[in-house]
Amino acid sequence: MVIAPRPWLHGFLDLCLLAMLHERPDYGYGLAQRLAAAGVADVPGGTLYPALLRLEQQGLAEPSWHPSESGPRRKYYAVTAAGRAALDTQVAEWHQFRDGIDQLVTAGAAR
Amino acid sequence: MTALVVAALSAREVGRRRVALALMVTLPLWFYLLRREAEGQSIRMLTLGMGWAVSALTLFVVNGSRSVDPRLRLTGASTLDVIGGRLLALTGGGVVLALGYWVLVLADQRPDRPWAAGLMMVLTAVVAAPLGSLVAALLPRELEGALALLSICAVQMLADPPTLAAHLMPFWSFRELGTYVVDGADAGYLWRALLHAAVTWLICAGGTYALFAWRLRLPRYPEP
Amino acid sequence: MTPAPHRGKPESGWAGRFEDELLRLGLQPGRARELTEETTQQAAESATAPDALFGPAHLYARHLLTELNTAPHPAIANPNPRPAPGPGPYLDPGPYLGPGPDLGPDLGPALDPGPSPGLGPGYGVGHGAVRLRLAGVSKRYRRRTVFSNVDLTVRAGEVTAIVGANGCGKSTLLRICAGLVRPSDGTVHRTRRVGFVPQDGGTAGWLTASEHFTLFGAAAGLAYRRARSTGEHLAGRLAWRPAPDQLAQHLSGGTRQKLNLVLGELHAPDLLLLDEPYQGFDQGTYLDFWRQVHAWRDAGKAVVVVTHLLHDLQHADHVYDLGAAA
Repeated sequence: MVIAPRPWLHGFLDLCLLAMLHERPDYGYGLAQRLAAAGVADVPGGTLYPALLRLEQQGLAEPSWHPSESGPRRKYYAVTAAGRAALDTQVAEWHQFRDGIDQLVTAGAAR
Repeated sequence: MTALVVAALSAREVGRRRVALALMVTLPLWFYLLRREAEGQSIRMLTLGMGWAVSALTLFVVNGSRSVDPRLRLTGASTLDVIGGRLLALTGGGVVLALGYWVLVLADQRPDRPWAAGLMMVLTAVVAAPLGSLVAALLPRELEGALALLSICAVQMLADPPTLAAHLMPFWSFRELGTYVVDGADAGYLWRALLHAAVTWLICAGGTYALFAWRLRLPRYPEP
Repeated sequence: MTPAPHRGKPESGWAGRFEDELLRLGLQPGRARELTEETTQQAAESATAPDALFGPAHLYARHLLTELNTAPHPAIANPNPRPAPGPGPYLDPGPYLGPGPDLGPDLGPALDPGPSPGLGPGYGVGHGAVRLRLAGVSKRYRRRTVFSNVDLTVRAGEVTAIVGANGCGKSTLLRICAGLVRPSDGTVHRTRRVGFVPQDGGTAGWLTASEHFTLFGAAAGLAYRRARSTGEHLAGRLAWRPAPDQLAQHLSGGTRQKLNLVLGELHAPDLLLLDEPYQGFDQGTYLDFWRQVHAWRDAGKAVVVVTHLLHDLQHADHVYDLGAAA
């Protein structure tokens, strides 16, 4: 499997992960499925798992181990207080960015 | 091992230079063919020509890698890996060449002591490679190195064996052996030749390593 | 803590190679073991073989370390951003927009224009650690003094540009940093793992690119196959697929410099020294090159680039003008 960099998602991946974890704690594979189901992206493992490890390293997500039905136990992540603060900041930036682009697109399309 | 990789790639590098290889292989042949009637002379000339060829090839290969070797050192190779690898490749190639010529000599003439003829040629190849690398270590510019090597070989060819000048020459050993092989001389010649070859090899190989260890030295900068 | 993986199972070959590569890249054994177990468990939870999910072990190890060292969002990691002295206002465009302030040509030695555009200096493991320090370094050849009293500090996660007129000794200074030239005066402190990319030359004309990877890989202790695949992977990042039979002497100047770049970083050094490496680059390659430099910086490496192009200065965190120091 080729590790293909996705530059446009890269800036937003942390935002998506924090938002999903804020909604409910989950494990890696589950998060990948939710991203795909939301139609955002089909994130390869080589991009997703390092991002999760990075969030853990920065103290934005907290891991805990839970057994699973199918056998191997899973590492669940939950957002921390610092993670929630970071999420808020990034959501605000995202809204600003999104609204700005929408404005430009609408102005361009209105002609 | 790193030295083996260096050796293998050196061999491959040289192997791609077909014309150079062809010239190197045929140079000794010219020496041989032009002296073919005089049996003793022909074997000696063949061996001398081979010594020239192998040492010249080593000189140019070692000088040619001058821009790569420091980078290899920075990446983590030791001087022994780098220089040792190249010497290994060229000595190996020289020995193969020597054995080839030995077969030729055996087929063409019937020297009194065939195994000694083979020994003479192989020894010359083994001593020729570090000689070339020593000259490369002392004179890193190609022109100067080539001229120095030519001078050594010329003196080697022309100096009379018993003189001091001849003793100092690196290929004196093979001339002694040549006498043993061709003229049926006593075993004293054989042992003197072997001793001289061993000492020459040590000086050339040791000198090469010492000079390159100095040239390629990397400072031990302490961690900040 | 999960028990250590049994070496009998087929995937554990991948885990073994993964851990070996992490150790080779300089990670502490305990941390390497942790990461290996985590990664194996991640593959298990996706019910996929690690090879299929992450790709070759040694390449994923590099990738993972790069990602873990990548700077976080500036708002989180940098509660007290450094104010920028010097010309021009300091703009923080965040991770979404392009290059930052354009610096004028008149710079004194060691002027600090503040954090550069992009994600900012690496805040990952080993942030800000000094990777190179020159103190009072001079170089003289016989009677001629090339430069004197150079003080320079280069930290992890930063790009430093060394500029100056022709002949002021930029290449010599870089070679002193690499250790290929001895300084006449002064002290040099430098991390052990360093990569050097010369201005030209530095390659063996009669070998192919792959053979270069094998050679330099062997010098770094890499096995032949691993060295080749790492080399090809790194070449891909510069948009270059080495042709299997093409000798280095037949490569175009720009492509040969790409080879030089790959060879410089093959052994994953902590400090990269680049001597005007963009000879023969076309515009696309030039941009790829700077993207690569930014990637190195974001991964926590220290990068020093000797350049005479003013255009390059916008990409650098620090600029050292050797001509002005003389």
